[in-house]
Amino acid sequence: MTHFLQELKRELLFSLRQKNVKILLVFGFLISVFSVVTGLMEINKQQATIERLVEYDQADREHVLKKYDEYGNLAYYTRHLTYSPPSELAFSAIGQRDVLPWKHRVRMLALEGQIYETDSDNPELAYVGRIDFAFLISILAPLFVILLLHDVRASERAGGRYDLLLTTSKHPERLWLTRILVGVLSLSVALLTPFIIGSIISGANGLDVLLVLAISVAQLIFWAAICYWVGKIDASAPQLASMLLGLWLATTIVVPVIGAKAIEASIHSPSGGDIVMTQREAVNGAWDKPFEDTFTPFLETHPEWRDYTKMNASFEWKWYYAFQQVGDLTAQPLSEEYRHARLLQNERASLIAWLSPAMLVQRSMTQIAQTDTLSMMAYEQSIRDFHARLRHFYYPFLFKASAFDKKQIEQRPSYSPDKIKNSKETL
Amino acid sequence: MSISSSNPVISAESLSVVLNNKKILTDLNFNVKSGEVFALLGGNGAGKSTTLKTFLGMITPTSGSAKILNLPVDQHATELRQKIAYLPESVMLYAHLTARENIKYFLSLAGINKRDDEINHALEKVSLQPKAWDERLSQYSKGMRQKTAIALSILRQAPIFFLDEPTSGLDPIAIDEFNQLVSQLASSGATIMMVTHDVYGACQVANHISLLRDGQLVGNFSSPEQGHINTEEVHAAFAARSLA
Repeated sequence: MTHFLQELKRELLFSLRQKNVKILLVFGFLISVFSVVTGLMEINKQQATIERLVEYDQADREHVLKKYDEYGNLAYYTRHLTYSPPSELAFSAIGQRDVLPWKHRVRMLALEGQIYETDSDNPELAYVGRIDFAFLISILAPLFVILLLHDVRASERAGGRYDLLLTTSKHPERLWLTRILVGVLSLSVALLTPFIIGSIISGANGLDVLLVLAISVAQLIFWAAICYWVGKIDASAPQLASMLLGLWLATTIVVPVIGAKAIEASIHSPSGGDIVMTQREAVNGAWDKPFEDTFTPFLETHPEWRDYTKMNASFEWKWYYAFQQVGDLTAQPLSEEYRHARLLQNERASLIAWLSPAMLVQRSMTQIAQTDTLSMMAYEQSIRDFHARLRHFYYPFLFKASAFDKKQIEQRPSYSPDKIKNSKETL
Repeated sequence: MSISSSNPVISAESLSVVLNNKKILTDLNFNVKSGEVFALLGGNGAGKSTTLKTFLGMITPTSGSAKILNLPVDQHATELRQKIAYLPESVMLYAHLTARENIKYFLSLAGINKRDDEINHALEKVSLQPKAWDERLSQYSKGMRQKTAIALSILRQAPIFFLDEPTSGLDPIAIDEFNQLVSQLASSGATIMMVTHDVYGACQVANHISLLRDGQLVGNFSSPEQGHINTEEVHAAFAARSLA
């Protein structure tokens, strides 16, 4: 053990004497610092936005409550803030938080349109990507490993020292392994130290941090092992680098792109825009239809209000909210199909990820950071659950035409992000 | 594994090597005893370096055997390399390290720990100027690099030395110094096998010379009890064989 440590120390000192190694490590460290700092800044920004919105939302609700003394108006004008707070590790893997909405202010109107209206945002923006820590480890770290370790043997061959090293070294094979290990260790320190500091600053869970570290080190070891095996080929350093870069390109870019295309072609999914349109057309069309056309489908899911659907005027809030719900019911098959497709896409992507270490690493990190597709879908589901509770609260007052009682409003449900976890289980 | 003076330290027994369907070495037979200097003399492409690499275990014999201390090299390469100090033709140590750092690094690879004064002594022995000891090798001439590598070989205290064109690129004074050093090593009991095309140098230091041409031994010369192998005789044979 002592001998091994001595060898490790010798190769570490030897490696750090090389200018190109130092430059590469400093560069890696700086990119890691950049990824962590920008990640923390983004998460701080999201947290600040949530805090600001919580404050604004509270004030707005109080304002509406002062202004209206009728359940229908109150339900119509009151917005409810729902949000998915970033996890402590979200700074390291922004994931789907960059693409999917993590905050909505919903009203007690038809919900599906409110959830998916941002789905019509320009999706091209999502391709710009972000250099977060997950991107660094999944995409860039293999390049650092290749740059550092592709020529462990080839540089000695080119330098005319290979035979001398082979004949001088007591354990020639161990020499290459030690050099590879030193490369992995020094890169780990350069790339992971900023992440560890970032995790301490954000107060991340120790076990989650360890998991991310284990995944990162596994990724570095995986590529170092490939460099080790490919490096055994008696070829020049540029030839070896080309082979390794080809492998990186195939597993990091080609496999995910072909995989995404294959998933897209094999799984039909309506778009968020389709859901919004279907729901809006159902809601807008209800104004011109007889009341029965709204209440009949509504009562199928809410038979408890069968005795309260008689209309005494051309407009009543119970009818209005009933056709809002019918709008949701009309869009429900599309919405379910959409969610089912996303789940299926996610499942297939997880299978394809086994062919692409970059995908596998990124997916694992977003899962730990709770910024993956499932987490974002759980947030959407938590909005539906909250909205259902809201309807459940208002419907007795609306259908029974109860006199307004401000005290009752205090019982109105409020959104709690703590329930996102429960919603995840229902996906 | 002790080195007895009676048994050959290095021996080739019907050694043949075929690489890429091309015969490189054919039926080589020679023995080198402890304390002897054996020079394999030949022109470019004669198979000298292949012979050396076969004895270093880097090339496997196609037939016959290459033995060191009576052990087939291809089966005991790692073990036997510990007993060999190898000086490649083009000594390219690490340019970003000093002579001393290079020596320490390579000694450490061999599992040998030497004090600074021992390293200094070896560097003095190869006549490397003390002011150069702590300069990076990027500033060294080929001769200086060669001397550094020789100092490394001495410090390894290996009983066997393999020298590949050791005087190539050295100035005449450095060649003389080197030849003296080889003689000193041999007289201290080291067994030396060198491959070279330097007839004069080989005759100065070797007890035995074999001429290698197209992978075959075509002439053998041994030194008399006193004195050196006759240079003119070897030169004539070498030239004749080369022209043949």
